[in-house]
Amino acid sequence: MLGTGLFKGLAVTFGQMTKKKITLQYPEERPDFGDRFRGIHEFIPELCIVCHQCARICPTSCISLSGTRGDDKKLRIDTYDINFEICILCDLCTEVCPTEAIRMTDQFELAAYSRDDLYKDMNWLYENHKQHGSYDQLQAAKRQAQRDQAAAVSANKGDES
Amino acid sequence: MFNWQLHPLTGLNFLGMIISGVIVLLVTLLVVMYTIYFERKVIGWMQLRIGPNRVGPLGLLQSAADVLKLLIKEDIVPAKSDKVLFLVAPVIAFVPSFAVLAVIPFTATHLFTAGLNVGVLYYIALSSITILGIVMGGWASNNKYSLIGGMRSAAQMISYEIPLGMSILGVIMISGSLNLNVIVAHQADHMWNIIPQIIGFVVFIIAGIAELNRTPFDLPEAESELVAGYFTEYTGFRFAFFMLSEYVYVFAISSLATTLFLGGWSGPFLPSWLWFAIKVSACIFFLFWVRATMPRIRGDQLMGFAWKVLIPLALFNIVLTGALSLVA
Repeated sequence: MLGTGLFKGLAVTFGQMTKKKITLQYPEERPDFGDRFRGIHEFIPELCIVCHQCARICPTSCISLSGTRGDDKKLRIDTYDINFEICILCDLCTEVCPTEAIRMTDQFELAAYSRDDLYKDMNWLYENHKQHGSYDQLQAAKRQAQRDQAAAVSANKGDES
Repeated sequence: MFNWQLHPLTGLNFLGMIISGVIVLLVTLLVVMYTIYFERKVIGWMQLRIGPNRVGPLGLLQSAADVLKLLIKEDIVPAKSDKVLFLVAPVIAFVPSFAVLAVIPFTATHLFTAGLNVGVLYYIALSSITILGIVMGGWASNNKYSLIGGMRSAAQMISYEIPLGMSILGVIMISGSLNLNVIVAHQADHMWNIIPQIIGFVVFIIAGIAELNRTPFDLPEAESELVAGYFTEYTGFRFAFFMLSEYVYVFAISSLATTLFLGGWSGPFLPSWLWFAIKVSACIFFLFWVRATMPRIRGDQLMGFAWKVLIPLALFNIVLTGALSLVA
């Protein structure tokens, strides 16, 4: 019938009022982005082998790094900077990293008063790793590996004796 | 004491008028402040949002903060504008919106109400002056969009004023008076006018929304096509005045609908002012509800709707009311 659509529309909007709000009270409540969110990077210096893959693949050339060869002939990272002015958080550096030394967290707050503040160095990225990244997970895995190794060693000793 | 128009104008009477005028103004400003808050909350809820919730407890001071922001903004008068008209337009738009509140009977004791014997006519006549302010603002801004917005509002508000006036005629025929106090008293004795005058009520609400330039009749200030229409060039205080007059009219037209059709302050148990507040709030809520629901009406359908649908309906209502009163 002509005109009933008006009331249908009004009924819909009235029904909406009592439904659960989808707004998050942002600074207090945090969204859950899931594991595959592409947020600010975390960097784990001890894993890096200075292969420059990340710097080479970066489409905006926002990564710059340098390393030196140690006494054991292995390369160690000295500086690792990401310029978040031009970083597009595309995840390619993470994809290409052979040792998963560069990863992404679920952090997204990069607002700063100065553009200089957007140059994040190795220390900052490592702090991000400790606070928001996979630090705990990684340490737990490391401890587990040590324990497994110790267990294996003692088992070997038991075999020998 | 409060029937000012019946007494000679003495110094004491004049002082009383001024004091009650100031009180009504303050009450109106408070009502407008929380009307805006209520609108944002209601529309937020209908869109699954929370609405303002940061400034003050539950966001209650949001409107105050917004007004403060408007007041400390730079006051820009465009260089090529018609200066005098540009400055005067917001005042002309606002003053009638506040002046019409003089005849609204807020309470049973007619506190702050002028018992004007042509109250309805006074309301309709004064509220059309606001159109002048809007057209002036649109013209003086010397801006295409403002001019289009001003012209649209002139066309729209003038054509919708006719069905608005005619829808009220039925009520006047039933109550036999143009005095709003008498109309309310008549409803308190008999029944609310919304029952015998349902057609008139529907026409009144539709024409009223169009008079207010609110969605779905917000063509004069359509953000998406006219960048806010007649107040594109207005900033700060003057912009606040246009917004203020718009929201005072929301309050005024809801009060008028309450007075004419919903029995005004009359009602059992609760004090009269509370009944009035409840009914007005319901009317205001309905306006916001419609705004959250309806899309904007198409420009070419706007005039046809007023002249081909609303005016014949209102005329039919008048004839029907006359015929029924002859029979009864």
